Amino acid sequence: MRSSIITRYKIWIISALIISIWPLFLSDLALSLLSQMGIAVIFALSYNILLGQCGLLSFGHAVFFGLGAYFTIHALRLINIGQLTIPTPLLPLVGAFAGLILGITVGLIGTRRPGATFALITLGINELVHSSALMFIDFFGSETGISAKREGWLGITFGSQLEVYYLIVIWTFICIILIYAFTGTPLGRISNAVRDNPERTGFIGYSPVMVRALIMMVSGFFAGLAGGLYAINWELVTYENVGIMQSAFVLFMVFIGGAGYFFGPIIGAVIVTFITLYLSAFTGAWMLYLGLFFMVMVLFAPSGIAGILMLHKPVWQRKLLRRIILSYIVALFSCFVITLSGIGLIEIIFHWSSTGYTNSVMTVYGIKFDAKGFLPWAITFAGIILGGYFFKKSLSNVKKNWSLVSIELQSKCHDDSSN
Amino acid sequence: MILQIKGLHKSFGKTQVIFGVNLEIEHSECHAIIGPNGAGKSTLFNLISGLYKPSSGNIKLKGEEIVGLSPFEIYRRGLSRSFQVLNIFRNMSVFENIRCALLWQLGYKYSFWQRTNTLKEVQERAEMILNQIGMTNRRDVIAGALSYGEQRRLEIGITIGSGAEIILLDEPTAGLSKPETEEVVKLIHNVTKGKTLLLVEHDMNVVFAISHRISVLVYGQIIATGEPEMIKQNRQVQEAYLGTFNEKAA
Repeated sequence: MRSSIITRYKIWIISALIISIWPLFLSDLALSLLSQMGIAVIFALSYNILLGQCGLLSFGHAVFFGLGAYFTIHALRLINIGQLTIPTPLLPLVGAFAGLILGITVGLIGTRRPGATFALITLGINELVHSSALMFIDFFGSETGISAKREGWLGITFGSQLEVYYLIVIWTFICIILIYAFTGTPLGRISNAVRDNPERTGFIGYSPVMVRALIMMVSGFFAGLAGGLYAINWELVTYENVGIMQSAFVLFMVFIGGAGYFFGPIIGAVIVTFITLYLSAFTGAWMLYLGLFFMVMVLFAPSGIAGILMLHKPVWQRKLLRRIILSYIVALFSCFVITLSGIGLIEIIFHWSSTGYTNSVMTVYGIKFDAKGFLPWAITFAGIILGGYFFKKSLSNVKKNWSLVSIELQSKCHDDSSN
Repeated sequence: MILQIKGLHKSFGKTQVIFGVNLEIEHSECHAIIGPNGAGKSTLFNLISGLYKPSSGNIKLKGEEIVGLSPFEIYRRGLSRSFQVLNIFRNMSVFENIRCALLWQLGYKYSFWQRTNTLKEVQERAEMILNQIGMTNRRDVIAGALSYGEQRRLEIGITIGSGAEIILLDEPTAGLSKPETEEVVKLIHNVTKGKTLLLVEHDMNVVFAISHRISVLVYGQIIATGEPEMIKQNRQVQEAYLGTFNEKAA
């Protein structure tokens, strides 16, 4: 009995061990990155309750996150001046309940119609809150935002990033488990039915509007909780947290990771947080790269990274991966050449134009050169064209190998079922 | 009397589709509605089940007025329906389709504190219905990937899952081959025992095989209601509709 529990929850136990022991050996910078990833994971999962589970495309999810963060930071301020006592570890719940209540409001207004109407209403609400943020400065602070200080609890000071990290990681773990469990509840199941066919859900006894409103509440709860953790992590909340960019980022995370799978948004949150933090340290054009990455994913892999992984699961299980891996490596290498040259080209243009075309000497990939010269342009263009040519060639090879493998897979499946 | 329709009218803009329909459905009878294409049969079903709002008239379910109620409110009063155009949950498995159709009726409603997999009653009923519609071996297939005939059976499974007292089936055998039709008729017969069944059907063999009474709807009006033999012999009906049937049969 005990061993079956261990095998069943193997993946949870292993990841819990990794994320609790590994950080002891990490720098504060890495811990800060991991903390932000944890917050992003909860935020992205909360978004996918709407999109993946219930088919609601929202352009205003930052409202839940941001207001959750604001309510938490105000609670923290009250704690600072001694007017309120909430133990710091439970503080994110302030944000969560703010998100929940906001979810009821938005849910009742916005979910009468799904699709474009819902998307536009959420966009409108996001703009409304965002512009209010600069008007009602008592609550939102002016452009400098609202700040407060973390209080200690039971001897834990929450002074170091490590302690904050542990707080965030425990909440992240709790949220992942709760959101996962939610997908299996009657409401979670029915939300899938509403996503698939809202009309028919009426004829099995459910009001699609009610289901969407409840889903909105649940999603708002977790988004608000993520916002609460954000407030604790940074001790500062600004109007940018309720901004449209924040809504766009969570959309990127979920689409890049894959909305169709539970773990998709987790992957997406990790990747997008990483890109946002590390790429922005290297180049001012990082938003452009993130946007391009998002576009490429939506166009060529609409089911996200999780979708690509799941597509290869049967191939992996039946040990057929080596049949296609070589053609993948060739295709990926040509992809790599295109990306490298493309980034080089963008960087040349970006650097040169950002100096007002006065300073054409720059360093890209550690190579110092003059943008007025012929060679840098020739090399990058040649890289893109040659890379594109080889990519096209290798792609047909990938397709050929893939169809061979899938034929074999089908016949193997057939063998299995007939045995 | 379980369902009573009085002076029902429906128009879409200037086009009137239902002209004062009166219909009374008795407890646990199987009542078929027949009529030529465009007679308004599906519209009548959509009015009864709450998908459309009537322009005027009354519909009483178990003595209670249901005009103006939403589909889910009518469902909760004990009326369940199927669709002529397949209306299943395409991206969910067969089992999940059936299970979702049970949740409300078994009282789990909007519960977010229970795990569906551990609800014994739901699991057992779902398996039972799968067995009834003969799809136990297709349990985990995604509904959209089923054959047309299987999707029709699933559609019936979703409709009867609720255990509603009155069931509306809109052309349950549309587009099915002969052997498939026979199977579905058997299925309908089995699963609607003791229940009230209102049926729209084009296949006259099916209609005469299972219905106790028949109403003939022509251009939005019911021109005759009665037992199958009576309908067959009704001159007006023969002129309006059955003429084509007799020619086909001959």
